Amino acid sequence: MAAAIPVGSADDAVAALRESTPFGEAPGALLARIAAIARPARYGAGERIYTAGDPADDIFVVLSGRADHVFASAVGAREPLKRVKRGGVFGWAGLLLGQTKRLATVTAAEPTEVLRIDTEALVGVLESEPLAGGHVMDRFVAMIQREFTVPAVLAQVRRLAGPVTEEMSRLALTMYRLSLWLKSPRPYLMLVGFALFLGFWYLAVEVWKLPRFREMPGVTSVVKEWLSPNPTYGLSVYTEEYYQHILVSIWRVTKAFFLATVLGVSFGLLLGWSRAFKEYVFPVFETLRPIPILAWVPLAIVMFIATESAVVYLAFLASFFATALNTMLGVESIDESYIRAANCLGASRWQVFRHVIIPGALPFIFTGLQISVGVSWFSLVAAEMVSGQYGLGYVINTSYMMVRYPTIIIGMVTLGIVGYATSAMVRIAGDYLMEWRVRELALAER
Amino acid sequence: MKKFLSSPAFWRGAVSIVVFIVLWEIGARSKQWMAPEFFAPFKEMLGVMGFKKDYLPWIGAVPAPSKVLASWLGVLAQPGYWQSWYMSFFRVMSGFIAAMIIGIPFGLALAVSRAAHGIGFPVFEVLRPIPPLAWVPASIIFWPTQELAITFITFLGAFYTIVINVLGGARSIDVRYFQAAQSMGSSRWDIFRRVILPGTLPSIVLGSAVGMGITWEVVVAAEMISGGGSQQAGVGGGLGFFIWNSYVGGSYEQIVVGMISIGIAGFVSSELLRWGGRYATPWLKAR
Amino acid sequence: MTRGHIVIEDVVKVYDPEGAAVMAVDHCSLEIEPGEICMIVGPSGCGKTTLLNAIAGFHEITSGRIVMDGEVLCSSEKPKSMPGPDRIVVFQNGALFPWKSNLENVIFGPVMQGKLGRKPAIDKGRAMMADAGLSGVEHNYPGEVSSGMRRRVEIVRALMNDPKALLLDEPYRALDSLTKSVMHEALLEIYYKNKVTIFFITHDLEEAIFLGHRVAIMTTRPCKPKKVLAVDIPHPRDYSVLTSKRFRELIEETNDAVHEEALKAFQAGEKEG
Repeated sequence: MAAAIPVGSADDAVAALRESTPFGEAPGALLARIAAIARPARYGAGERIYTAGDPADDIFVVLSGRADHVFASAVGAREPLKRVKRGGVFGWAGLLLGQTKRLATVTAAEPTEVLRIDTEALVGVLESEPLAGGHVMDRFVAMIQREFTVPAVLAQVRRLAGPVTEEMSRLALTMYRLSLWLKSPRPYLMLVGFALFLGFWYLAVEVWKLPRFREMPGVTSVVKEWLSPNPTYGLSVYTEEYYQHILVSIWRVTKAFFLATVLGVSFGLLLGWSRAFKEYVFPVFETLRPIPILAWVPLAIVMFIATESAVVYLAFLASFFATALNTMLGVESIDESYIRAANCLGASRWQVFRHVIIPGALPFIFTGLQISVGVSWFSLVAAEMVSGQYGLGYVINTSYMMVRYPTIIIGMVTLGIVGYATSAMVRIAGDYLMEWRVRELALAER
Repeated sequence: MKKFLSSPAFWRGAVSIVVFIVLWEIGARSKQWMAPEFFAPFKEMLGVMGFKKDYLPWIGAVPAPSKVLASWLGVLAQPGYWQSWYMSFFRVMSGFIAAMIIGIPFGLALAVSRAAHGIGFPVFEVLRPIPPLAWVPASIIFWPTQELAITFITFLGAFYTIVINVLGGARSIDVRYFQAAQSMGSSRWDIFRRVILPGTLPSIVLGSAVGMGITWEVVVAAEMISGGGSQQAGVGGGLGFFIWNSYVGGSYEQIVVGMISIGIAGFVSSELLRWGGRYATPWLKAR
Repeated sequence: MTRGHIVIEDVVKVYDPEGAAVMAVDHCSLEIEPGEICMIVGPSGCGKTTLLNAIAGFHEITSGRIVMDGEVLCSSEKPKSMPGPDRIVVFQNGALFPWKSNLENVIFGPVMQGKLGRKPAIDKGRAMMADAGLSGVEHNYPGEVSSGMRRRVEIVRALMNDPKALLLDEPYRALDSLTKSVMHEALLEIYYKNKVTIFFITHDLEEAIFLGHRVAIMTTRPCKPKKVLAVDIPHPRDYSVLTSKRFRELIEETNDAVHEEALKAFQAGEKEG
């Protein structure tokens, strides 16, 4: 083994740890403590770092260069050979349950610099911060199984001694993530951002009374009105009417969105699936599409006797185009080889549709649905402003007519909140249906 | 081109558009709910499912394509119609250009600086779900002229899309380009100018094309809601107002003329933008 | 062993994009013995995938015919065969359905064809995956396991249907050379357990000689066998073969022929580019 020569700086050690799978998400303070117990070492090309069967003492983190990590055949790793580069971690056998010997032989393939961390010392540091430490251990398991392809039976790590390490509960994990977030500068910058925004609004309108701004409702008057049990202009969180408007708008969007999803998805699937259908129908679709949905407003009023239908129709039309188009693109984006593979495996045309086309198009469909909710609100507001009774767009427009300025802002903010909530719901539904994709993306981010 | 004209795709498309227009003509002339007895069972079925007659569209209320065409030909000679085109185009362009001038640097700043992102992005995300049209009354109160108010709304429509695309585009630039630039000794400014800016350009083009579409959506509605802008006389308030005015005046053919005009205007401006985009990003058409 | 006898007789394939006829396969004849690993070597874009697509039933042929076990798959009268579970393709970039777990992928064939119920299919799938060293990843999605593992899952998925032939279209192309070497041994191990005919397309001569009973070196566009080499290294083989004298000799014998075709393909590509 080469003599330990100091290499790299402490900063670089922390940076390398942060690039590694197990330590990548650990808080900076913990990384600094781990870096403090790490000793740098350097190996020449072809030099043996350790041999399978040696006592498992140190864990190695690669700073630069490359090492070849070859498992002893008894380990049963699916990929016996792994090349470890910067940010790679090896020599973790000491962390495994009941394991005291090296499982692999590691050789430096080129001049390689590493950090050596004593296993017991590391466990000590991790135990002192059970939550973050437990997370590091979990990530070790994931790395050993996925990156080193060691069978799950073998890849069981020692439990950290300590109070909270049993099973990191969901709540604890959330709290831990929250604490990480609170330690980062992000929440404070966010507060600064909102303070600047609201502060400017307050000062410009109510204190400095700048020209033009003077006419606008001030932030305090809006909030006061919104939270007042006896609102001056008749609309606040305490009035029944407020919720009635919200419900009417949501109900309209729901109807439009539901109809657009059912019709748009099936129409889009057909467009993508059958070439003849697309060639017949798509030109009409493309001719109608450039007409802005909102230009339909008067015609919709004329076409429908019930105003209610006209409003829903406008919201529907916007959603429909977005959903159908994205569904079609989704079907067209499916790799031909998936369909061929299904044919090879003896799937019928309907089975291909059900098991390949639909799930394959799902990511695009949900992108489309997210856009669809957005545009649905977008045109609903316009329709309600022009021709509605009830609904948030109506509130905004009538408040303007009747000079109830604070209520305009209440309507706008409420719209923002409700619109955001509905699109979040679509996103959650999508993640639920496409677990495979969520997991794939999570892996890709690492 | 010749090949395209003789392909089945072209003929199928042509057939379907002709069929669409013919059906529209027949539907519009029939002046009945849907069509006569032929659809009776269908109507009954819908009734069972809880649909009332007034929930369904009445094609008979829509002017027939032949009448639309006649009315269009009449309108072409009126200067007011062209004035509407000009007004709408002017508003769209000013709102759109303002959105580019403010949105691109803002998006780049969010992408490049962590502090800017931390301060600016949450506020941006909170404001974004509010539909641009909900701003119409507030905008009319705030801006001294209606013209400015409408321009501001069109600006908002394009702004969000452009910022989101610029931010996403700058973030998705391959890290290796930065590493390559650094290893060749580029300064921070060089990296910004020669890596981030061109790397974001395709997203800027895409965002602008989408933003342009939204701008046309918004300008129409803004013109309708605000009642036409500076000129109070029936014409000259933009295509949105042209439509609204036709509706109020009961000349339904002109509504459709206005709709088609806006469709053409929107299509032409998006195509122009795409064409300009291809010109600005020549490396993308390599394959 | 009489299953999986494929005879390619005088097959011609002419593509006709925009009137300019391009001959991809030119009067190609080749017989693949039952249970044989037949390696098809040629530079990228030489037309060997066209041949595979014709056997699999993805493309029509222009003339000639392809017969498997006495049954005519395609001929001038019936230019396109139906893809089916008797000859399964393993694709270049992998075609495991990313939205199904590995186990669901493996049981896809028998369940779709209605040959097995879900329960027995799952049991069989688990057993076959365990056999191929894939236990523990049944409930992972393909996107979560290594690319080498995905290839093995895909081969298991094919073998679940008890096919007569496997058609492999450069399946290890995207893998690094070390993973590739591991995959070769794994493929042979699977092959020794389930003797099926393997029609394996590659551009890597070493891979071809290491795996194949016979290696057909193809000419480039139009594609037809230029030289067919019987590899007289006895099976079962393992990695020591790679350093054996005979292996080196075979490489030397064929290297020139392959290089010549690669050069032709490269120059053709330059011209087109």
